[in-house]
Amino acid sequence: MAVQSDVIDDAGPYDRAKALSAFKLGDVTFYWIARLSAISVLLILGGIIISLIVGAFPAMKEYGFSFLWTQRWAPSADPPVLGALGPMYGTLVTSFIAMLIAIPVGLGIAIFLTELCPQWLRRPIGMAIELLAGIPSIIYGMWGFFVLGPFLANTFQPFMIKIFDGVPVLGAIFAGPPSYLSLFNAALILAIMVLPFITSISVDVFKTVPPVLKEAAYGVGCTTWEVVRSVVIPYTRVGIIGGVMLALGRALGETMAVTFIIGNSFRISSSIFAPGTTISAAIASEFAESDGLHQSGLILLGLLLFVLTFFVLAGARLMLMRLEKKAGN
Amino acid sequence: MSDLSVSMSASGGLPHAPVLPEAPAKVTVRNLNFYYGEHHALKNINLALGANRVTAFIGPSGCGKSTLLRIFNRMYDLYPGQRATGQLMLDQTNVLDPRLDLNLLRARVGMVFQKPTPFPMTIYENIAFGIRLYEKISKSEMDGRVEKALRGGALWNEVKDKLNASGLSLSGGQQQRLCIARTVAVRPEVILFDEPCSALDPISTAKIEELIQELSENYTIAIVTHNMQQAARVSDKTAFMYLGELIEFDDTSKIFTSPTDRRTQDYITGRFG
Repeated sequence: MAVQSDVIDDAGPYDRAKALSAFKLGDVTFYWIARLSAISVLLILGGIIISLIVGAFPAMKEYGFSFLWTQRWAPSADPPVLGALGPMYGTLVTSFIAMLIAIPVGLGIAIFLTELCPQWLRRPIGMAIELLAGIPSIIYGMWGFFVLGPFLANTFQPFMIKIFDGVPVLGAIFAGPPSYLSLFNAALILAIMVLPFITSISVDVFKTVPPVLKEAAYGVGCTTWEVVRSVVIPYTRVGIIGGVMLALGRALGETMAVTFIIGNSFRISSSIFAPGTTISAAIASEFAESDGLHQSGLILLGLLLFVLTFFVLAGARLMLMRLEKKAGN
Repeated sequence: MSDLSVSMSASGGLPHAPVLPEAPAKVTVRNLNFYYGEHHALKNINLALGANRVTAFIGPSGCGKSTLLRIFNRMYDLYPGQRATGQLMLDQTNVLDPRLDLNLLRARVGMVFQKPTPFPMTIYENIAFGIRLYEKISKSEMDGRVEKALRGGALWNEVKDKLNASGLSLSGGQQQRLCIARTVAVRPEVILFDEPCSALDPISTAKIEELIQELSENYTIAIVTHNMQQAARVSDKTAFMYLGELIEFDDTSKIFTSPTDRRTQDYITGRFG
């Protein structure tokens, strides 16, 4: 103690106080910069919500809650009739089908890359996945319109329609005629677009599983499949669901590619091979030519997408909490 | 440092003072060599693990004792570039046979690791998981097996009221006993311990050492340890390894009182390592 104070005395008490106050200033500055950054998120979010509500207000006043369950969308009628049922249905159905395809495939790729893949194949596949994430959505849209749509309409769609012809429920879901523009095509494109999210996040979290934990599982005699199912996936559950939620958020809001290939029809059909629309596709294709109540209706659609996304993600989080409880945490 | 061996014998650290009769070999190792890529990690190892005996492996870090242990259940197979030559027999089975069913081998040769490795599931499931891999049994039968395994792991009294809690909620020592119980539940013939107590406090260590003694009545046990008193306390035979070679392999009491090799003596008296 004595030695230390001697050293400080040499430097002079004044210098020390000055140095300390400089530190303190830096600390306070840092604190406020960090705090303002955090607050700015709330401000931006609040601003967006407020301007959406203001813009949507005329439509809300005109249609009230019936906006939610009206299927008809006739902006040029007099007075215009607007209902969000079609776009909401399309958004949920395309996202659901997209996740149905993308989750198993994405996890499968991640499992292959981390547990099974020979070393030399790892980089090429990993890079291909990252490139997939880098393709602009307009290109997916064009590819879906010119290549995937005609291909599906000539092969996969007639095949499914024929197989399920006459089967209750499934027959209605896979009903004809085949179409270049359909909910299913849009969902398939969405699945391809969100695949990289699920795969790259899953690969990252799979790598966090301690090797010794996997060895322990192999040590009681597990096969690779059993190790993945019972140890790797439960251990990384939270991370995987995080990746899936990110992908889901992307799928719900994706606009350009979907607008190209979904057909922009506000009619709800039981068949996933029929054209439909999503909230973001409807806004993108009509906003430029809209005014008055029509435009307000489109903004209200945007607000609905906001709310829909919020509830879907909140639901996913709730499911995660349930899972945690079941695992005994 | 050099009074280590004296204090050990003074405190009665050698429970197996009357040397047990030579046991029939459960695992036989002949001319075993092991390579990490180019690195020659084990050189011409020859030894046998006696059935229902505890064999300890001691030696400085990097001498190859853990490597040897990981050959007994072919754990090295998980990693490319690692290979073993020579012969390793488990009873009449050639462990190094590439056509061998590894899952079956690992059910016969269980392993407990340095760090506790409970699976991310409940305590009950941690035990039932391994059993379910091989047997289809009813719920009540499974309850019985889980209880028996947890008793075998000397953990039952501490967890019987919280079998549905996560395995990760237990303390380090309890987790390690859970791992032992999990290993025992599969009914292996050989159990490998890779420094099982190095992450544990002295009381947990004492419990696990006691457990190892009990387990040796039914299982053939190999244990790698850095703690020489531990090797002296729990084992019947001790192997001293150095730089990938087996320097000396003999009854534990002999290794710790009158080792033949100079290097063994230096190591156990703490002159290097």
